[in-house]
Amino acid sequence: MRIFSVSHKTAFVVDHCPYMAESSRQLIECDMLTKSRSQGVIPLAPVSKSLWTCAIECSMEYCRILYDVYPTKKLVNYIVSDSEVHILNSWKQENQNTQELMTALAAVGPPNPRQDPECCSVLHGLVAAVESLCKITEYQHESRTTLMDTADRVANRGRIICLTNAKSDTHVRMLEDCVLETIQEQNKRAAGSDRLMPIQQCELVLVHIYPQGEETLVSDRQKKELSSVLSSEVHSVRAGRYLAGKLNVLVQQHFDLASTTITNIPMKEEQHANTSANYDVELLHHRDAHIEFIKSAQPSFHCMNGLKETVTLKWCTPRTNSVELHYCTGAYRISPVDVNSRPSSCLTNFLLNGRSVLLEQPRKSGSKVISHMLSSHGGEIFLHVLNSTRSTLEDPPSISEGCGGRVTDYRITDFGEFMRENRLTPFPESMVDAACRTPVERAKFQLERHTRYWPMIISQTTIFNMQAVVPLANLIVKDTLTDEDVLTCQKTVYNLVDMERKSDPLPISTAGSRGKGPKRDEQYRIMWNELETLVKAHVGTSERHQRVLDCISACRSKPPEEEERKKRGRKREDKEDKTEKNGKDTEEKGWTTDSERLKGVMEREKDEQSECEIIKDSPDSPEPLNKKPRLATEEQQPPEKSKGPVSLLTLWTNRITQANSRKHQEFAGRLSSVNSKAELYQHLKEENGMDVHENGKATR
Amino acid sequence: MPTAVLLDSSLSMTRPVSVEGSEEFQRKNLAVHGLTMLFEHMATNYRLEFTSLVSFSSLWEVLVPFTRDYNTLQEALNNLEDYDKTCLEAALQGVSNIVQQEWGTSCPCQVVLVTDGALGIGRGSLRHSLQTVKQRVEDKKFPLPFPFPSKLYVMCIANAEELQATDSMDNLEQLINLNGGEGQIYTMEGPLCLKSVQSMFGKLIDQAYSPFHAVLRCGNLTSDVQVFPRPEPVTIDEEVDPMPRTVQTDLEIVGFIEIGDISSPPVLSRHLVLPIAVNKEGDEIGTGATDDTEEETSTNQMAGKSPNFCVLLHGSLKVEGMVALVQLGPDWFGMLYSQADSKKKSNLMMSLFEPGSEPLPWLGRISQLGPASDAAENPYGEDDSKSPFPIQPKHKRSYAQNVTVWIKASGLQTDVQKILRNARKLPEKTQTFYKELNRLRKAALAFGFWELLKSMAELLERECTLLSDSAHPDAAFQLSHAAQQLKLASSGDSKYAAYEHNITPMLTDFSGGGGADRI
Repeated sequence: MRIFSVSHKTAFVVDHCPYMAESSRQLIECDMLTKSRSQGVIPLAPVSKSLWTCAIECSMEYCRILYDVYPTKKLVNYIVSDSEVHILNSWKQENQNTQELMTALAAVGPPNPRQDPECCSVLHGLVAAVESLCKITEYQHESRTTLMDTADRVANRGRIICLTNAKSDTHVRMLEDCVLETIQEQNKRAAGSDRLMPIQQCELVLVHIYPQGEETLVSDRQKKELSSVLSSEVHSVRAGRYLAGKLNVLVQQHFDLASTTITNIPMKEEQHANTSANYDVELLHHRDAHIEFIKSAQPSFHCMNGLKETVTLKWCTPRTNSVELHYCTGAYRISPVDVNSRPSSCLTNFLLNGRSVLLEQPRKSGSKVISHMLSSHGGEIFLHVLNSTRSTLEDPPSISEGCGGRVTDYRITDFGEFMRENRLTPFPESMVDAACRTPVERAKFQLERHTRYWPMIISQTTIFNMQAVVPLANLIVKDTLTDEDVLTCQKTVYNLVDMERKSDPLPISTAGSRGKGPKRDEQYRIMWNELETLVKAHVGTSERHQRVLDCISACRSKPPEEEERKKRGRKREDKEDKTEKNGKDTEEKGWTTDSERLKGVMEREKDEQSECEIIKDSPDSPEPLNKKPRLATEEQQPPEKSKGPVSLLTLWTNRITQANSRKHQEFAGRLSSVNSKAELYQHLKEENGMDVHENGKATR
Repeated sequence: MPTAVLLDSSLSMTRPVSVEGSEEFQRKNLAVHGLTMLFEHMATNYRLEFTSLVSFSSLWEVLVPFTRDYNTLQEALNNLEDYDKTCLEAALQGVSNIVQQEWGTSCPCQVVLVTDGALGIGRGSLRHSLQTVKQRVEDKKFPLPFPFPSKLYVMCIANAEELQATDSMDNLEQLINLNGGEGQIYTMEGPLCLKSVQSMFGKLIDQAYSPFHAVLRCGNLTSDVQVFPRPEPVTIDEEVDPMPRTVQTDLEIVGFIEIGDISSPPVLSRHLVLPIAVNKEGDEIGTGATDDTEEETSTNQMAGKSPNFCVLLHGSLKVEGMVALVQLGPDWFGMLYSQADSKKKSNLMMSLFEPGSEPLPWLGRISQLGPASDAAENPYGEDDSKSPFPIQPKHKRSYAQNVTVWIKASGLQTDVQKILRNARKLPEKTQTFYKELNRLRKAALAFGFWELLKSMAELLERECTLLSDSAHPDAAFQLSHAAQQLKLASSGDSKYAAYEHNITPMLTDFSGGGGADRI
């Protein structure tokens, strides 16, 4: 439904003239004597509602359903008319609730039968209703201000529902003429005003109410265009349940509602708590919840008591409380037709307590089709439409088959932690921070900060595998640091320095490094570099962030001569690589192809190998193959140390060795070995033997 | 978005095309050529699309039911037979039926009609169908507009001039209009030849089957992705703001929410988010001299092995039971989550919410959602036991607030009986007695139902006379007090009939502290 359709504004005009005090003549027995107490007691006379009472309660019911299904944007202005006009509320959203209307109605009270009928008329109310329809609502105002140039797109339409007791068809015509005249008059006035809008379309719904047992003086009339602006229809209805039924039909028509009957609801009997019977509850909601039935004209549509159409859906007793994400194509607020009947309130309370109920289409044969779900969110019950047809996304390729699908050491748990830290929460409208950012912009900004340095896989990082770094890593991403935070970061750094001094092993990955795993001092160099990368990414945030970096630069080990030596070493390596390449180039073609072939073999081997490197963290990873340690061929002298002219064999063996060494994590013993000989039980020698695990991340 | 191809197999399709070259083509051959091109494109760039092939003449026949197997489709194209005259209405009805049977009425579908533009003569011709379109009875309605959201693409193996010479063009345009303007007519430019049929189908591919590529972003973590099926533009509230909204190619994650908190939200559409490798030439591929297919597989292998953010995100969303809120455009959001199918294969899925600032009432305005760490107190609690969602509406709905409705006599009777039941258990039930009494009083005042107040007062007075000797003396006091208060209210005297006024229990010697304390 378009926002500014006729249903945006509904003006209720209820006749408060003396004749409305007349009895509806529908008698209600309210003295229900129980058998045991009935001896010798004369029951009280039944009560009967006045026409006014009937009109009020039915219009309140109309509003109740309307506010349940459309808590916003569908507005009611309630007007009572006798010798004067009583406007009970305004178009303001805050006035749109039944409690407020009930309070105002109590203040008006029933019509006074002794009032002079000559000066009373529903006309006053109709005039006021037209005037009121010209008044701009907050939604129209907001829409006009945001649209600016195209403000004329905002339409002003409305509906007047008049509950009265008319004298005759001529009287009805007089009322219609009066409305039409008033519209023309008011539209002229509105054209020159900012706070008023001319009415483009108005639907007048006249409901003539007469007591039961009387003949009607007014005939029913279908909707008829009285002018391009005004259409009118007349309903002549007996007071009491007929009127209630009529207004129920009207609210459905006016607001595109449809009815669903939930059947087979098991309920404990009031008297016998151990037996249960099945009940039905009828709900109203937006018609679109039935879109699938309407379009395909399914037979589950069927009629109740000739007048009403309702779709019957079967209750499926919920088995679990598990949270599941259903594929839901629509969710529509509901309103029970019989709100305070026992079955209705049982159903709504069950839902309000947080349970969801799946609804099944009743079918004589074939498989079970679940097409809807009832569920409450924040005290509002919604009818969810679930997709019950074949999905076009069935049998999709698994994520493990696509890009990045073969990588097995994603930091799944760490990213889970990251997501928890970046959960969203609602903030009050007024809350804007110093930089005038909305909460959602702040959320994006936080994500940006938290991901400035965020390696995705375990083997890409050292520091995030170390428990010792956690305090610093958690703090450095913050927008502002306190002096205390800086101190914590510094302590973390000192702790790392201490670890280095003690030569504690680091959880460093050997994948991708040349030769056998890096030496301890090299490990620390890698760790310090990574830590520096992390902190550098945040150094611009504040002066305190800079202080953390300063601390790292000051503390990290960088003996200059060692650095120098390493550089030289690397240069030599480069040179060797070059000679190798030159050699290759000068070799005859056959050699090249041969080497290509061998390279291919190596690549393939590498592939197989990397499949073995599995960390079970990633749920979609294939299970690891039986991991057999591959031992490199004869442990040679490290290639870096070979000097002088190299034979082709040595060159080749070195390459193979290097390639092989990449395929597995080097044994800790061999890493720290001297000439391939490792000393066992080293830790016994260390007096302050520290638990190795303390430095590695605790296993989860 | 499945595709139904509706291929004209009438005799007129076998008309030869006059070309100067040596080869002689029929219009049918051109149609097959175009469709082959379409199927090849789909097989490589759009391979998750379900496609069905239907041929029609005066009858229609499903040659290939909806499938992703493009070889089968191609095979069927190679084995076409020729039939009699063109009868489009029946064929459209057929397509409508098979789509509804397979996908229901809410799944959008593309219908590609391939015809030579000779739309039949006499009864059953499109002209005849359109002339009688307004005179149909309920069960013989014209199949357009389709009951499901659809696009109707008409591929004419004819050029525009040829179609305009007869009323074919008008009729086809009318067809698109009947489908709510959803669709397009393609004609061939220049002479009918392979080249122009290629260019025509090329346009269709660009229009309807170009893959949607985007960048998924979470701060500095990014991944190139293909979103399938392609998200189509969405128009909401045609009245005020009729601009169609398109999903931008930069999908930015805003934050994360628990599955229980987002709680099965209604969505416009669902899409797979597939990470793709952007091929940087020679960057990652070591060996050069291999042929195309090998290169492709090795690229794929390399791509499989380089870490991808989508896979990380998917894994964590699955393990944590969360969704990522993602911004699709200005004031438009969606969610990313892990979706597992029956075979336990799981994938990253994106659902689009309705455009607007508040797509889900229980989340509130999305622009007001911010990082939980900014809140003064952790809204999720220190031990994750709380949640800031769902947001409570300002006013309770009628079913959550014990409203009074007396439209049915039973409603009124229940309320009266409730009061009497409590009246008989005074003074134990003093509190509930007055609560129910005041509820009835308020409703009666609002409805102007003063007669009920009087009757209720009489009932209470009678209850007073029926009290047994063993009854607590307080009961009699409370009953007559309540009855008197109701009578006063029914007088309409503003002092007693005020809506907000509540009848309070009478303070008696017997009730002393006890009775009053309970209130």
